[in-house]
Amino acid sequence: MRHVTAILRRDLANYFLSPTAYLILLAFQAIAWLNFWELVDILTRRQVAFSTLNDPMNTYISGSFAFWIAIMVAIPALTMRLLAEERRSGTIESLLTAPVTETEVVLAKWLAGVFMYLALLLPFAIYLPFLRNLGRFDFELGPLISLAIGLTTLGMMFTSIGVFFSAVTKNQIVAAVSTFAVLFLLMLVTMMAYSYAAERRLAWAEPLRFVAVFYQVHAFGTGRLDPRFLVLHLSACIFMLYLSVKVLESRRDQ
Amino acid sequence: MIEVDRLTKRYGLITAVDRVTFAVGRGEIVGLLGPNGAGKSTTMRILTTYLPPTSGRARLAGFDVLDNPLEVRRHVGYLPENVPLYGEMRVREYLRFRARLKDVPRSRRSVAIDDVVERCRLEEVEDRIIGQLSRGFRQRVGLAESMLHDPDILILDEPTSGLDPLQVREVRSLLRELGDRHTLLLSTHTMSEVEAVCGRVIIIASGRIALDDRLERLKTDPTVVIEARGPAEAVRTALASEPTIASARILAREDGYVTLEVKARDGVDAREAASARIVQNGWGLLRLEQRRATLEDRFVQAVSAAALAAENDSPAGSEPAPDDAELEAV
Repeated sequence: MRHVTAILRRDLANYFLSPTAYLILLAFQAIAWLNFWELVDILTRRQVAFSTLNDPMNTYISGSFAFWIAIMVAIPALTMRLLAEERRSGTIESLLTAPVTETEVVLAKWLAGVFMYLALLLPFAIYLPFLRNLGRFDFELGPLISLAIGLTTLGMMFTSIGVFFSAVTKNQIVAAVSTFAVLFLLMLVTMMAYSYAAERRLAWAEPLRFVAVFYQVHAFGTGRLDPRFLVLHLSACIFMLYLSVKVLESRRDQ
Repeated sequence: MIEVDRLTKRYGLITAVDRVTFAVGRGEIVGLLGPNGAGKSTTMRILTTYLPPTSGRARLAGFDVLDNPLEVRRHVGYLPENVPLYGEMRVREYLRFRARLKDVPRSRRSVAIDDVVERCRLEEVEDRIIGQLSRGFRQRVGLAESMLHDPDILILDEPTSGLDPLQVREVRSLLRELGDRHTLLLSTHTMSEVEAVCGRVIIIASGRIALDDRLERLKTDPTVVIEARGPAEAVRTALASEPTIASARILAREDGYVTLEVKARDGVDAREAASARIVQNGWGLLRLEQRRATLEDRFVQAVSAAALAAENDSPAGSEPAPDDAELEAV
């Protein structure tokens, strides 16, 4: 496992050699700023109580439409390059003929993606101390921590999906589009299918609600750190990474 | 150092490498020669554990490629075809990255990098971005990288392809120097490269070994061409009766002059005996020339023989059945 840090460092540095990473970071910074502005706007309105469903602290991050769209675009953009580029340029051959295992390579690539993902969430966090200290708004810390943990495991799963599609193809565009399709499925299609099923009281409404990422994150945001969701995210993540290792081991394109 | 036993690699129905067997000893420089698509790269990829063989065994530095791939990789330096490098990194940065991957101990890393930079003459470009380097420099960066961990064995896939003549010369002299410290297996499809660098050549054609011999033995050819003044038949019989000569054949005769092709027995130089025989008989010896086989001749011979053998080996394709409808119409 000692090679993981070496590969990870190279990949992280590599992100900042192309404009993509800067653009995505900038976009998230902008979204965070807009959402925070909206949050402050809501909080300054005179309102007696917030229902749990539209708790402004929850809508600040996970209730924002722009945030989800940005995640769906950012994850494929950040993960598409990781392995597909190594395969296209042939550097995968020198990487896998060094005394490095496929597992180390996949883990390092995945970690690079996860770190970048966490860096995207950081702008949302940096506003909160200002809200507390300058705005004198005493929000609860518990739900935010729960949300942070949930978003982290969710990001781990999303990144592993991106790593997997990056491993199966030499073409970055194919990798990005496939990843986007799966994220779209997990986020929007499940949500819409659930509301369709719930309206008609169909039996598969509940299982759908369970896998619908949007409702999972909503639950985290309201402070319910449901371990079932964490286990779901982490096991899906491990499974996708395992598949990626197997794809690399098979040397498919040869 | 390298032991390969009946190594076979199939891709579906295509057999890329077919029961290849050879061994390379410590300190040897061996050239793997063959036309494009002969299986050179596949063989090398198997030896460097990048691809698993379909069957057969390969051991490098005492480690099996399937049982102990990580140990093999620790003892082998590999320069893949087309030299894949990270174009966005700087030369020294890249070498440092690779040194970490190759488990060069932290304390020795700078020394090891300095060493390969010096040996591959990369001093002037060590802080430049790899993507902006010329082909020749990139090749040298690849070479430097392959010997970073001071491996026992270096496997180089076409180390001089795509270089200009001057760069080719530089890389070749570098390769000859490497022979002192490493066992070298390099592939190429240029004959002159093998002649310039290698001590031994293995010719691969259609996935099989067509020839495996030391270079100096390949270069000597027992044929001598003799031009003499004298009766053609008498000269021929006289030469043929010489014990060191295997056969004599008349190439041309022209009023009193004769040109013969004489083949000596294996490993014998027949020139002295032949000239003595002619002079003793009172004929005039006008020309006596040892024919030099070029490696190219041997290469073409070996490759066409292998292609023929492969053709005979494969099951005969069935004749296309005549089209019934067409027959009826006629």
